Amino acid sequence: MMRGNRIFLTCFYWAFVLYVFIPLILMITMGFKDSKFIGFPIRSWTLDWYASVFSNTEILSTFGYSVTIAVLATLISVFVGTWIAVLLEGRKFWGRMVIMGLTVMPALVPGIISAIAFRIYARLLGIEPGMGAIVWSHAVHTVPFVALVVMARLSTLPKSQIEAARDLGADPLIAFVRITLPYLIPAIIGASIFCMLISFDDFVRSFFLGGYEPTLPVLIFAKLRSGMSPEINAIATVALVLTAAIGIWAERFTRRMNKDS
Amino acid sequence: MTKLIYNRRRFLGTAAMTGAALASPAYLRRAHAAGGEVNIWTYNDFVPAAFKEQFEAETGIKVNVRLVDDQGKQFNLLAAEQPNPTVDIMTVAGHRFLQFIESDLLDPLDTGRLSNWDKINPTFSESDWSTINGEKWGAPILSGMEVLSYNTELVSEEEALTWDTLFSEKYKGRTAYIIQDMMSIVMLMKGYDGNMVEYKDDPEKAAAIVQEVQEFLIEKKPLVRKYYDGGAEFQQMMINQDIALGHSWNGPAAALINDGFPLAMTIPREGSYGFVYTYNIAKNAPNADNAYTFLDAILASPEIGAAMTKASGFISTYKDATQYLTELEKKSTSFPDEQLANLQFFRAEANEIKYSLIDVAVEKVKAS
Amino acid sequence: MTLDTSTATDARSGDPKDGGRSVWARLATWTPYHAMMSLVTASPRRQFLILAIFPIIWVLTQHLGPMLQMLRVSLTDAYPVAPGVEQNLTLDNYARFFADSIFMMPFFRTLVYAAVFTFCTLIITYPVAYFLARHVSRKNQMLMLLLLLTPFWVGEIVRTYAIMILLGNTGALNLALKWLGLIEQPIPFMYTSFSMGVGVVYLTALYMLLPLYSALEKLPKSMNEAAADLGAGPWTRFRRVTLPMSIEGISSGCTLVFLISTGFYAVAVLLGGPSTTVFAETIAGFFHVAGDQWPTGAAFATIMFATALLITGVFQMIMKSLRKGDLT
Repeated sequence: MMRGNRIFLTCFYWAFVLYVFIPLILMITMGFKDSKFIGFPIRSWTLDWYASVFSNTEILSTFGYSVTIAVLATLISVFVGTWIAVLLEGRKFWGRMVIMGLTVMPALVPGIISAIAFRIYARLLGIEPGMGAIVWSHAVHTVPFVALVVMARLSTLPKSQIEAARDLGADPLIAFVRITLPYLIPAIIGASIFCMLISFDDFVRSFFLGGYEPTLPVLIFAKLRSGMSPEINAIATVALVLTAAIGIWAERFTRRMNKDS
Repeated sequence: MTKLIYNRRRFLGTAAMTGAALASPAYLRRAHAAGGEVNIWTYNDFVPAAFKEQFEAETGIKVNVRLVDDQGKQFNLLAAEQPNPTVDIMTVAGHRFLQFIESDLLDPLDTGRLSNWDKINPTFSESDWSTINGEKWGAPILSGMEVLSYNTELVSEEEALTWDTLFSEKYKGRTAYIIQDMMSIVMLMKGYDGNMVEYKDDPEKAAAIVQEVQEFLIEKKPLVRKYYDGGAEFQQMMINQDIALGHSWNGPAAALINDGFPLAMTIPREGSYGFVYTYNIAKNAPNADNAYTFLDAILASPEIGAAMTKASGFISTYKDATQYLTELEKKSTSFPDEQLANLQFFRAEANEIKYSLIDVAVEKVKAS
Repeated sequence: MTLDTSTATDARSGDPKDGGRSVWARLATWTPYHAMMSLVTASPRRQFLILAIFPIIWVLTQHLGPMLQMLRVSLTDAYPVAPGVEQNLTLDNYARFFADSIFMMPFFRTLVYAAVFTFCTLIITYPVAYFLARHVSRKNQMLMLLLLLTPFWVGEIVRTYAIMILLGNTGALNLALKWLGLIEQPIPFMYTSFSMGVGVVYLTALYMLLPLYSALEKLPKSMNEAAADLGAGPWTRFRRVTLPMSIEGISSGCTLVFLISTGFYAVAVLLGGPSTTVFAETIAGFFHVAGDQWPTGAAFATIMFATALLITGVFQMIMKSLRKGDLT
C-alpha cells in the first residue's frame, strides 16, 4: 500500500512537472523560429532573435532594471511584512482584525485600480514617477504575501522556546533575533521568492508609476502590440536563464556565507 | 518555405537600408542645436530608431520614448499627471481627440510652426475629423482601418466582400471580432450611421439603433469564437487556425501578410471605418518648443513615413511614402479603389451619446 | 547572558554557534543598548506600543491611503475633473451595479470561477506538495521545489501565449493527438473555460504549492508512524493526521489563490471565450474603453473587494473552527 502510494505520487509529481514545463519548452523553441510570429508549423529556424537580444543593450539594461526593482521591493516588503506578522500572530488586542484586514488589502485590489490609486496617491505625496515609485508600489503590493506566509510559520513556533530564552535572560529583541528569526527563515525565503516573482512580472503598476525607462514586462507589452514575435520569446528565455543563474549564484553565496561564519 | 526565408532576409535588409537612407539630414539643417529633451509616449516602432538617432545627433535634443500599448492607458496616465505632465508628445487616434480635449489634456497644434505640414496627404491633414473647435489637434502619421481579414486557403475572396460572411453558419466557431468596433460596423450593415452623428439630437432613435445592434450580436453570439482586444491576439488566432476569418485592423493583418501568411483583407461592400494615429502636444508640455522641432523633423521626409509603415503595417499619411515600400508591403497596405470608396472615417462629435450606449450594450452582449 | 543555541537548531539555519554568541552576548551587556532595551521593555504595554506603532503607521499610510483615494473617486460623479465642471458626491456609481442585472452575471461568474479554480489548484498541487515534503530527501527537496518554480519566472503574458500555441487548433497538443492518430479534426480547446482553467491553474499553482509545502514539511514523520503502529490505514492516517495538520497551509494557500483568482485579467482576456467574461474585465472596461468612467470602475472595484474580503474572512473562520475541532 505504502509503495503503491509512493509510485502514484511520483508519477503525479512528474506529470505536474510536465504540465508546468511544456509551455516553457514551447516558448524556448519558438525563440528559434524564422518568422515574425510564433506558432506551428515551423518551416525554418534561425538564431537571429537570440543574437538580436544580446546585441541590444536596451533589453539587457531593462532586465537589470527589473531585477534591481524586484530585489529592492522584496527587501522592503520582507522587512515590513515580517514586522506586521510578528505583531499580529498570537496576540489579542483591540483592532487586530482591522489591521489584519488593512494588511491584506493591497493583494485584493485589481491591478488597474491599484495602479491608478497609487499614481494619484504618489502625486499627493510628491513621489516622482520612476524607479523609486515602482519599488514603493511593488513593496506595498507584496507586503500581504509576506505577512500571510510568515504568520503561518510563526503560528507553529513553540512558545516554550521563546519563554526558555526569556527565562535565561534574553531581552525580547535578542530572543527574536536568535530564536524567532532563524525559525522564520524558510518562510522568509519562500515569501521573498513570491515577492520577487510578483515584482518581476508586474506590468500595470510599473507602467503607471514608471518613467521613461521601461521594466521588462512594460517593454514586452509594448512590443506585443506589433505581434507576438519570436523575439519576445527569446527575451523571456534569456531573462529566465539569467535569473536562474543569479538564483543559483545567490544560493551558493549564502551557503558559503553560512559556512564561513 | 523559400518565401519565408526571403521575407526574413528582406526584413533585416530593409532595416539596414532605411538607416542608410535616413543618413542625409537635409531636413535638419534648419534646426539649430537646441539641446534639452523631448518626451514622447507612443507605440512600439512609431518612432523609427534610425530617425531618432539622427535627430538626436543633429539637434542635441534627447528623445525619451515611453512605449505605451493602448489609448485608454495614455488617457488615464495623462489624466493622473495633469497639470504637470511628464510628456510632450503623445499618440492619439483621431476619433479619440474629443475625449482628451474635453478633459483639457491637449494643446491645439500650431500648424504655422510646422514647415513640413504640407508633406502630409491632405486626405488626412484636412479631413473632417481633424478639426475640432476650429483648431487642429494633431499631426497625422499613420492610418488604420477596420477590415475583414481572411485565410485565403479557407475562405474565398467573393465571400470576404461582405460582412455577412462573418455571421454565417458556414464559419461557425471560426470567426472573431473586437466587439466595440463591430458595433459601429453592424450599424453600417443595417444602413445606419455608425458614428451616430445623425442621431446626436435624437437619443431615442440612437438608443433604438444600439438596441437593435445589441440584439443582432447576441443572436449571433453562438457563431463567434472569440471577442478579442489586441492585434497580437488576432494574429495568433489566425496562425493557430482557431479562426478562418475575422474583423481586424489593417496593421496587424498586414504584418501577417508580410510574413508570408496566406491572409488577405477587404473593405466589405457594406462599408467600414478608418482612423488616424496622430502625434499631439500635451497641455502644459514641459518642452513644447522641442516638441515642435521634433514634429517638424519627423514629417520632413516620406522615407520616415515609409519606415513607420514597414514596422507597423499601418498606412502612411505622408505624401509619396509608398515609393519606398517593397511590392509585398505595397500590396499589404493598399486597397482597390472601389473598396476604398466604401471607407469613411470615425468621427467624434457624437461620441458621448454613442459610447454611453455602446459600452452598456457591449457588457450586455458579453454577459448574455 | 547565557543563551543555549540548541533551542533554535531545528530551524536549520546554519546557526553560528560560537562567533555569534559572543557578538550577541557583548551587545546584551553593552550599557547603552541595555539602557535602551530596559527603557523600551519597561512595561508590556510600552513594549507592545513600540512593536505596533510602525505597522499601524505603515498600513494606514501605505495600504489605506491609496484605497481611500479610490473610495473617494468612487463617490464622485466625475473624475478626472474637467475644468469648469463641478464635482459632486454621489452614490449613483454603486446604485448602477445593483440597478442593472447585466453586471451580476460576470460578478457571480468570477466568484464561481475563483472558487472552482482554487479547488482545482488545491487538488492538483496537494499531492505534489505532499510528495515533495514526505517522499523526497531533505537534500533534494529544495532543488525539486525550485525546479517547479522555474517557469514562473517567465512573464505572465509570454507564458499565456505559450499556452495558446499549446492548445490552439494547430497547437502542440492537437498536433500530438493527430500524430498519435487519436483525432482527425483538431479539437477546439482554446477560448473555453477549459483553456482559461489551464492558464489560471498554471499561474496560481505556485501560490498554493509553497504554503502547502511549508505546512506539510514541518509535520513530524513520527506522528504518521505512531498512527500506523496503532493500526490506522493509509486513508485514516491521511484524514486523521496529515490533513488536519496541513489545514493551516490549505487555508492560507486557498486564501491567496482565491484572492488572486478574483482579480485575474490578462489570462481571462487572452484565454477566455465569448461567454467567460469575468468581473475584472467589466471593471477594466470602465478604465480602458470608455476612459472617463473612473468613478463607476472604482465603485465596482470596491464592491468586488468587499465581497472577496467577506468570503475569505468566512473561509478563514471555518478553517479555524475545523482545525480546533480536529485537534481537540
